[in-house]
Order: sequence, then C-alpha cells, then structure tokens
Amino acid sequence: MSVIHADIFLTKRKVQHLVLSGLSLILIALFLLSLSIGAFHISMSEVLGIIAGKLGFGTYEGSGAASQVLLGIRMPRVLMGIIIGGGLGLAGAALQGLFRNPLVEPGLIGVSTGGAFFAVVFIVFGAKVLSMTPLLSLIGLPLFAFCGGLMVTLIVYRIASHTGKTDVSVLILAGVAINALMGALIGLVLFYADDAALRNFTFWSLGDLGGSSWVKLLTAAVLMIPASVMVIRLYPQLNAMALGEREAFHMGVNIQYVKYVLFLSAAMIVGTAVSLSGTIGFVGLVVPHLIRLGFGADHRLVLSGSFLLGAILLSAADLLARNIVRPAELPIGIITALLGAPFFIYLIVNLKKIKL
Amino acid sequence: MLQGRNIHFCISERPIIGEVNIVVAPGELTAIIGPNGAGKSTLFKLLSGDLTCNRGEISYNGKHIAGFKSNQLAKVRAVMPQHSEVSFPFSSWEIVALGMINDPAAISDRDIQAVMEKLQVWHLRAQAYNMLSGGEKQRVQLARVLVQVWKKQAFPRFILLDEPVSSMDVALQHLVLDFMNELKQRNIGILMVLHDLSLVANYADQVIMMKQGEVMANGHVSEVFTNQNLESLYGYPIHVEKHHQGLGLLVHSLPIHHINQRINKAL
Repeated sequence: MSVIHADIFLTKRKVQHLVLSGLSLILIALFLLSLSIGAFHISMSEVLGIIAGKLGFGTYEGSGAASQVLLGIRMPRVLMGIIIGGGLGLAGAALQGLFRNPLVEPGLIGVSTGGAFFAVVFIVFGAKVLSMTPLLSLIGLPLFAFCGGLMVTLIVYRIASHTGKTDVSVLILAGVAINALMGALIGLVLFYADDAALRNFTFWSLGDLGGSSWVKLLTAAVLMIPASVMVIRLYPQLNAMALGEREAFHMGVNIQYVKYVLFLSAAMIVGTAVSLSGTIGFVGLVVPHLIRLGFGADHRLVLSGSFLLGAILLSAADLLARNIVRPAELPIGIITALLGAPFFIYLIVNLKKIKL
Repeated sequence: MLQGRNIHFCISERPIIGEVNIVVAPGELTAIIGPNGAGKSTLFKLLSGDLTCNRGEISYNGKHIAGFKSNQLAKVRAVMPQHSEVSFPFSSWEIVALGMINDPAAISDRDIQAVMEKLQVWHLRAQAYNMLSGGEKQRVQLARVLVQVWKKQAFPRFILLDEPVSSMDVALQHLVLDFMNELKQRNIGILMVLHDLSLVANYADQVIMMKQGEVMANGHVSEVFTNQNLESLYGYPIHVEKHHQGLGLLVHSLPIHHINQRINKAL
C-alpha cells in the first residue's frame, strides 16, 4: 500500500497542503471544462469571457444564447454537481469514521434510500398541502429527506454497533434489508402517485443533476455547507475514534457530542443531496478510500480531501453523462455505479488485507 | 490521589465487584493482581470512567469522577486498555501523536520523539500500526498514553495500564517498567494490572490482591507478598524468596508433576 509517510510533523502537513491544493486545481480545471463541453458547445475563451464579464471586469459580451445556456443552465448544474459530489464524499468519510468501518456508504447502508422515501412521501402527499408556501415546499423537501436519512442512520447504528464496535456483516445486511424496505415503500407511495411522479421514479433510483437551478443550488448550499464545515472541523475527534470509542473517551473526546454532530450532519448532507439529485451511489464509498490509499488515514486530509475528490468525481461523471449519448443524457447514477460497484467488489475481496 | 470508596458493581444482579476500597497515590506504582475473573478488569474500567459503579464513589484528586467532563478527565488520567484495534491505516507516529489531541500545545514533536525512542518504537514511526507485532503495538499504545500526561503539571496525574507488557519479551518488560519508575518522579501515580508476579515483586510499590470481586490483601509489596497470601490468592503453591545476592525478590512456582512427586515422596 503506497501510503506516504512523512518523517516529521511538518513534512506531513506540507504533503497534506500539497494534496489539497492539487485537488482544488483539478476541480477548477474540471469546472471550466464542464462549462465548455456539452450539447451546446461554448468555447473556453467564451466561458472565461462570460464569467469575467459577469464578475464585472472584462469587456467580452458573449453571444446571447451562449451566455444564457452557460449562466442559466450549465453553471448551476455544474456547481450542483460539485456541491453534491463533495457532500457525498464527505458524508461517506464521516460515516466510515463514525462506524469505524471502510465499507460504510450512505447508499449501501440505506441512508440515501431512507431520504429518498421521505422525499417521495413529501412530493406525493405533502406538496399539495404546502403548495401555497413556495419557501416551505423548497426547504420542506430536503428537510423531509434529512429526517428519513437521520432515521435510517440511527436504526442502522443501533442494529450494527455494540459498545462502539461495528459488526460488518450485520451492518451490510441491515443495509440490504433497509434498502429493500425503503425501495418497497417508495414503490407503494408511487402507486398512489400520478403519472408525472411515476415517470420521476428513475430519478430517485439512479440520480440526476438535470433539474438544477440557481434556487435549488442556493438551497443545497445553505443546508449542506454548514453541515460540511461541522464535519470537517471534527477531524481530531474522528482520528481518536479510529482507535475505538473507549480510547477516544480516554483521550478526552466527548463521544456523545461527536456522534450527534456526525449523525445530524451526515443525514443533513445526504438528505439534501438525495432530495435535489436522487440517490447517487458509491461516491461516498470510493472517494474516502482513494484518499486513504494514496495519502494515509489522517482525517485532517481524509475529510477535506474527500469533499474535493467527491466533487471531482461527480463533476467528471456528470460531464460523461451529458456527453456520451448526446443530445440525450444518461442518469448519472449509472456512471457512478459502473465505477463504484466493481470497486466495492474489490473492497470485499481485499477487506482482510485492508483491515490488517 | 485516585481513590475508590466502597465500590460496588453488578451485572444483572450478579455482583462483579463486591465492596472495594482502593487508593492510588501519586509517585507510586500500584499493581492489581489476582486470578482470572477476579474483577480486575472491571475495577479498572470503573476507575478509568468507562463504567459507572452502582454504589460507592471514585474520585481523582478529591473530585468525584462524575464531576469531570471528558476533556478534563483526560488531563488527570490516561488509560491503556488491553487490546486496541485501529480501523484505518494510521502510522505508528500518528497513533502516538493522538495522545496530544486534548491539549496539542502541551507537548512538542521532540518530546514525542523522546518518548518513542525511550520505548524503542521510533524506528517504527512510519509503519502502519496494524502491521506491527503484539509487543510493538503495546509499546506504541503505551507511548500514546504517556504523551497524554507528559507535560509536567502542578496537580498529580494517573495512568491506568491493563496488562501493558503482556506481549513483550523479558528485556522489554524490564525496560518499560524501569521507565515507569522514572515517570513516578513526575508526580504521576501508576495503576497496573499485571500477571507476571516477579515483575510485580520487583517494581511495584503497592499491591492490591483481588479475588472474587473483593480485595483480599492490600499493602506494600514487602508486607503482602508472602507465600501464604499468594497461595490463597491463586490456589496454587507459590514461593517468594530473596535473591541470594540480597537484591530483589524471586517469585516462582513449580509445575504440577514436581509437586506431585514431592507429595509422593513425603508419603
């Protein structure tokens, strides 16, 4: 395993900063590339010109259509991909740290489907009641999904963890059971839904960034960024908990507080992501692993690194989804699952080696 | 002073710890010994704050343990449990450095290095903890625990170690216990669950003998380490002798077939 081991503290910090800067640069490059490439091609110079013009410096006036596609459709979508990918990567890393297990992922343990179920319930039954207040229907959906995600997280934790130790097989089986249950419940609710909602079913099962708008992006940012910051700030505590909850308590960590914050934040991130873009699987599984494999297990890097790499991964997946069957689109979940499922199998096969 | 008064603990009506009084003084090494299932580990967990006793009171420096927040308690006591597994590929150095998360300013990198060198694990600093041998893991964990209380403080601190040297070879066991002797001078009280009686005889100041959830005998090694006490503690003949050069104690027990031969001869 090619873990980079820094001899002293300072070089380790330096490596971490280098990795984070590198990931940020890749993300920025990918961001610009995603703005340029698509069914409606906008050249890179136009992209930069329109952004510069919008920011108030530069004189370039893009063609009306390019400007409209870029600012009205593509940019909110690409930004949404970044924030949701980052959130899912981070939530995966946080849940893995909390469960002390590298196989945990919001999709696998049923948190995403739990959120999706609550979101579907809200759409089918709640939207009519709340259609009078647009703000509530905008915020209500993610909050409902948050409740569903939180509920499933707590149930799974209750089932699989005893005195701070998680039983992997029980955890995965609990995830399978909850996924099946929530899937069935979603189906049941959709049975009572009208045709339009029915057609959206693939959206919930495979994920889609297609409907992104600036308003939705703002909702995502308001709900997900504070939660993400809360999680990232807990890196020392998560490091201590890797030794065990008991040991972390011995070292002065307030375990209950850390757990509550992680449960709530992870459910908030995943719930919001699910309500806005459906269940996009495997990002939260693959991303923290790649960071650990490459640069060690220190959560100082794993948490922020997972956010950046998750954003990169989902942006790249979305870029593919938009372009390989142009002008049609693939659901983005198909691409993340095609990448993630083989990786998951690899993890299962190598679990012994990884844990050692 | 780490003090436990009338500690009682039971699991579903079955008493594990009957009625125990215990004092660990700073500057002393106190060893808990006793047969398997005597309640040593439970007592250890009660004292470290992992478990809460049903009756009785545990206090650190005169303050009730329930009155401490986890970060305050971590400044007064550090704990090394018997087994610790690490769930992700952390390096040994990272594990040791975790000892300072409660108070990152209290210890420098040079101090961490000094502790690791003293315990002969500095050369393992870059290796993944999970790849180490049992004895190496124990020394890394011990280094982590010591880092937590390394900075000198005005108030007494305590370290609780549950069989800290069980996987180490003889030379390392002596190295570690000698290091513990040095630590006592830092106004630190050490409480240790130990199985090796000759180590207890030669390094401990106070001994607490536990049997069936009760303290059977309690006092300075020179007073309580007698043939009779040890035999009734373990239910097996154990001999304590002065080393022929007058330094230290020898504790030994004969194998069962030798004892049988002796009995046969006597008959």
